[in-house]
Amino acid sequence: MFAYVIRRIIQSFFVLMIVMLFTFSLPYFQTHGIVAPAYTVLGTKATPYNVAVWAKQHGMDATYFHRFWTYSTQVLFHFNLGRSYKENSSVWGIISLYVPRTIWLAAVSLILTTIIAIPLGIYQASRRNTVGDYTATGVAFVLYAMPNFLLAMLLLDAFSFHFPHLPNSPPQGVQAWAIFTDPVGFILPVAALTMLSVAGLSRYMRGTVLEVLVQDYVRTAKAKGCSGRRTLFKHAFRNALGPIIVLLGLSIPALLGGALIIESVFNYEGLGIQTVFAATNLDLPTVLGITLLVAILTLLGNLLADVALGLVNPRIRIEGNSR
Amino acid sequence: MTDLTERERERVALLEPADSAISLNTDDEIVPMWKQRLRIFVHNKLAIASVLFLLITVGSCFLVPLFHPTNQTNQALTFGLPWNQAPSWHHWLGTDSSGFDELGRIFFGGEYSLTLGFFAGFITIVVGTTYGMISGFAGGVTDTIMMRIIDAFLSIPYIFLLITLISIFNRSTVFLICIIGFTLWWGNARIIRGDALLIRNLEYSQAATAMGARKWHIIRRHVFPNSISNIVTVATFSIADAILFLSALGFLGLGIQAPPTDWGTMLQAGTSQIQNGFWWEIYPLALIFILVVVSINYIGDALRDCFEVRLLER
Repeated sequence: MFAYVIRRIIQSFFVLMIVMLFTFSLPYFQTHGIVAPAYTVLGTKATPYNVAVWAKQHGMDATYFHRFWTYSTQVLFHFNLGRSYKENSSVWGIISLYVPRTIWLAAVSLILTTIIAIPLGIYQASRRNTVGDYTATGVAFVLYAMPNFLLAMLLLDAFSFHFPHLPNSPPQGVQAWAIFTDPVGFILPVAALTMLSVAGLSRYMRGTVLEVLVQDYVRTAKAKGCSGRRTLFKHAFRNALGPIIVLLGLSIPALLGGALIIESVFNYEGLGIQTVFAATNLDLPTVLGITLLVAILTLLGNLLADVALGLVNPRIRIEGNSR
Repeated sequence: MTDLTERERERVALLEPADSAISLNTDDEIVPMWKQRLRIFVHNKLAIASVLFLLITVGSCFLVPLFHPTNQTNQALTFGLPWNQAPSWHHWLGTDSSGFDELGRIFFGGEYSLTLGFFAGFITIVVGTTYGMISGFAGGVTDTIMMRIIDAFLSIPYIFLLITLISIFNRSTVFLICIIGFTLWWGNARIIRGDALLIRNLEYSQAATAMGARKWHIIRRHVFPNSISNIVTVATFSIADAILFLSALGFLGLGIQAPPTDWGTMLQAGTSQIQNGFWWEIYPLALIFILVVVSINYIGDALRDCFEVRLLER
């Protein structure tokens, strides 16, 4: 198990290096290249000489690899995500307050998705090709084909404007605990995000459980005289758990991406709104910093999912040891 | 179905329950593969309905404005007209918040959304297939590195990646097509690579190698034809995804910039007035949008079915 975890960590580290290489290289493609911030600080009419001096002062005249070394060590050891010249502040200083809020939203939705989608998948698989199965599949198909913001807007219209008057936006305090001052306001964003991820996952859940249900050991259990429910939960569910954990791990990027839209609809101050604001403000360092941070969150989530997979599925960790 | 041989009965069993009505090829006439596939596809009523709906939508988006042009770009012409008009004989779906005819605008925006979706999907599949094939065939260290690169890009939530690229490059339609097309292929490449890896190690590929076939020949004659089912299926899903992501960008105000518009931008404009009860600015378009994406996805599902070898007669 230990060797397996170590191997996964090293793998994630390499992936992280590639992501960093990407976020590091992108500014070279701006209109003025990497010295573009100089025009933000010195004004658009800055002379080439002044720009060159400013670039030298900020270490932008160094070679590509030297700069990448500085960048990656800064990220890895000081968690310095870069500096926003538009806001004249470090990127982490701008976004640090919003990180817990986005993690809140994503984590609560992920937990709810798990609670809803797994039983739904089991139900659909065990009652295959019945009215209930078709209805769930149809609803998931439509929800999946709907733009995220449209679903959120329709929920807002129905439950905040027309029927039960839920708050249309969560509490605006930026501290992570501000959510608890009015948890009711948290309902609609979480519900929207959960519906989206359940729609994305339920088809896979159904397929996963279905695949397990036709295995020989399930038939053997039935032949032994195991009751239907016992077969489902003791034999089928346990073995479907592995693929389900993989799916949940893979759904994290979609969840964080959905969170961006949901945050914009419900005016939920989080990383998503900050990204959109920075993008419309042409504040590239902040956009890149948030992107890197979100990628790190995803990688951590995938790592956790893989460790959990190793815990439920002994075959994987043994294979990991042998290599 | 009484005088069937045992083997034919097995085939019928495979086709049950939904496809049992497909007539079996009982004489020895050889039906071309594509004909058999087409037959399975045509047999799927919902898939045919989806194709028809898509054809009608695409056709009206591109043809109706030619016969019945509406002003969709010049706001000076709409200035004196009342905005947010309810549907009437003159404006079948009313007018939007700028006074443009809503029905005409659905077609106008559809041209951009559908074109972008199609071309982005096309780029996606070309790049994804090439990358996946190279990775699957190279194997070893090259394969590992290429797959880790894909892992890296998959770990960035897609909408964040799009916003990042859009804040660097400009927002013209061509660039949007390129940005979406060249960034949506990670998942596809992984699927195709899995196929390539699998087929390359099958007996017939090994036999071809033993007979002295070059790699390019094996790709062309064995790997590509056998992974075509995944390529086609994934391509249709990519088109649907591209349309969806473009609509998300439209909602954030980062989509196609005015005066042209796209369905996402229009839906955003409509839903921002949802409390005023201007239903004609949201629901007709929402219905068309959802139906388009559902039909593309459904066609993808049906295509996967008709490439499923078990359903073929031979």
